[in-house]
Amino acid sequence: MSNPLLVFWAQLFSRPEPVSRVPEHAHIESSSQASSTIFLVMRRMRTPLITLIVIFAVSVLGLHAIPGVDPEGRPARISLFESFYFMSYTATTIGFGELPWPFTAKQRLWVTFSIYLSVVGWAYAIGSLLTLLQDRSFRQALALQQFARKVKRLRAPFLLVAGYGRAGELLAKDFDALGQQLVVIDKAVDRVDALELGTYHADIPGLVADAANPHHLSAAGLDHPFCAGVLALTNDDQANLAVTMTAALLRPDLPVVARTVSPTIAERMHAFGTPTVVNPFDRFGEHLRLALSAPASYRLLTWLEAGPGAELPERSLPPTTGRWVVCGYGSFGREITADLRAAGLEVTVIETVERDESQHGVIVGDASEPEMLTRADLPNAVGLVAGTDNDTTNLSMLATARRRNPSLFLAARQNRPTSASLFEAMQVDALLVPTEMVAHEVYAQLSTPLLWRFLQEMPARGDQWAADLIQRLRRNCGRELPALWKVKLNQQQAPALTGWLAAGQVALGELLRSPEDRERGLRAVPLLLFRDGRAVLTPGGETVLEPDDELLFAGQGTERRELESTMVVDSTATYVLFDQHIPSSWVWRKLSRRSQPASTGHDREG
Amino acid sequence: MNLEKVVFGFFVLLAATLNFGFFIGDIANPEVHSVYELVAALAVSLIATVLKFGDRTQIGAVHLATSLVADLQLVAACVVWVWAVEISAAGLEAGATASVVSLSGGALLANLVSVVLLVVETVTFHRG
Repeated sequence: MSNPLLVFWAQLFSRPEPVSRVPEHAHIESSSQASSTIFLVMRRMRTPLITLIVIFAVSVLGLHAIPGVDPEGRPARISLFESFYFMSYTATTIGFGELPWPFTAKQRLWVTFSIYLSVVGWAYAIGSLLTLLQDRSFRQALALQQFARKVKRLRAPFLLVAGYGRAGELLAKDFDALGQQLVVIDKAVDRVDALELGTYHADIPGLVADAANPHHLSAAGLDHPFCAGVLALTNDDQANLAVTMTAALLRPDLPVVARTVSPTIAERMHAFGTPTVVNPFDRFGEHLRLALSAPASYRLLTWLEAGPGAELPERSLPPTTGRWVVCGYGSFGREITADLRAAGLEVTVIETVERDESQHGVIVGDASEPEMLTRADLPNAVGLVAGTDNDTTNLSMLATARRRNPSLFLAARQNRPTSASLFEAMQVDALLVPTEMVAHEVYAQLSTPLLWRFLQEMPARGDQWAADLIQRLRRNCGRELPALWKVKLNQQQAPALTGWLAAGQVALGELLRSPEDRERGLRAVPLLLFRDGRAVLTPGGETVLEPDDELLFAGQGTERRELESTMVVDSTATYVLFDQHIPSSWVWRKLSRRSQPASTGHDREG
Repeated sequence: MNLEKVVFGFFVLLAATLNFGFFIGDIANPEVHSVYELVAALAVSLIATVLKFGDRTQIGAVHLATSLVADLQLVAACVVWVWAVEISAAGLEAGATASVVSLSGGALLANLVSVVLLVVETVTFHRG
């Protein structure tokens, strides 16, 4: 029924438009730095080159001027051309011998002199050139130029990622799977090397540079018309602040997502425009609170945030009554204590360093010492959070706590990616990996704006609803999270439907039928319907669609392509929606319309 | 006084004068065109080119371009001369001489542009 060529055609010619007009003041002369280094190199080559020219000129003229004899013994000077030829092969240490005839002693004297002169000249020139090529600043300048050229040639919307740490890498994988182009900038050479070695579909340009420098951001495409967003993901809060600031001042129209663990930095970031600030500690606390109040909602949230292909997370049921013990009262401990207390739970805190503000329920001491855990009265607690910034301490705490009280709910913070297997072997109930948390958050916010809207409104719908939705997703799409995709019912994306949409004849349930056999429904789950700024979660099959509605679906790629063919091809749409066959070629349609004037009652060309 | 400017002006002018010295005279008469002058003009022109490396201004770029044109013309003239003297059976006859001299005439034009640029640069500098 459907014609793949038409679908392809419609997709091919809906070319991406530039994301936005670049403000006039946004352009920074980014290449000036690079070209100035190259000019410097040329300038430094002046002396060696001039030395070489002078040495050549003197020795060629000298050899020509000194009289010699030909084989017959007559006085004969070698010509200028032959002299040049001789000096060329002598100076470059090739040495064919004495041409065109054997030299006299006078000539040999001059040649000896000029050999030493010219070899020194060559060595000097080549040595200078090699030194300059090895020069670090020169190589950096070359790399910057090459990178800037690559970025300038991009003709698809891209995200600028500052900081390719663990979070950046995870995000790059997710976005690359979605076909989203990225540009990466990181301070560390080995991280950019890792980017080049990574297996990505797209060619991701990477630059070793300090992202806090506006010139480098500009070279990475901050002022590029196709730049679609800026992600500040370095592990340095100050650098993230600088990136946020630069992006907000130079391109106020771009969305900015910044990572930080410090609330004060977050506040300073908010002073510049409206960046989205992701604080992994804060988000983990919120997640834990959600897990306490609505376990199924929490499960759905973590599943959808984990990106395409993620397994359905295990059900975890944190105890909702009783006393918790939090070890480590740094910025993470504070957040989580506040969240647990807000959920109405009693919390005992163990902290190594005594702080000025004496708080209720804080025990001072080394949390890794068994005695401290005894003082925290573990056997009567229900949960333990190992939240120090040292993985060894966290693991030893977890082991001790589990021995004392095997029924404890264990939550832990993993600081280094290398510890992942240890925490996995420990089988903790809730694990925070700050970098992964950041990656999931940013993915949820940027992959499609509708997903973020969905996640925002989801907790309000209750736990039972979430449990039902998980069941429905599993039934339709399997244990692994399918791709999430967005559809907008406008003239570009759904030309075949516009007439019927305006007439209010398209119900969602009718649209989600297979073009091969309309008795079979598509295995795609509509997650969200977005209309006029309002969102409807999991719209039902009877929902009547209107023009310019936006829909978020979860489903495999095959289902997506089938829906797209319904939206683009007239004859498929007629069949899927109304079970009517109309000819797909123009000639047959004209002919059949003549014989049956009002067969479909729908004339799109008219 | 800037020593760099002196050296630069010296070589640009010397390239032009040597070139002029070779060019002047009956175009087809080998007697009045000394090959040493041609070689000297080429060497000095090469040095002048290198001296123009690494100048980022607009006028510096035009300087470099004119110098490269002069080099190209002079190298071509030298090649024609070598061909005539060493390879061609006829030797350095009137046609070959005319060809060498006219090529150097082209280089002379480029060198004159260089000199004009030098003068313009100097004059604008004093005004500013």
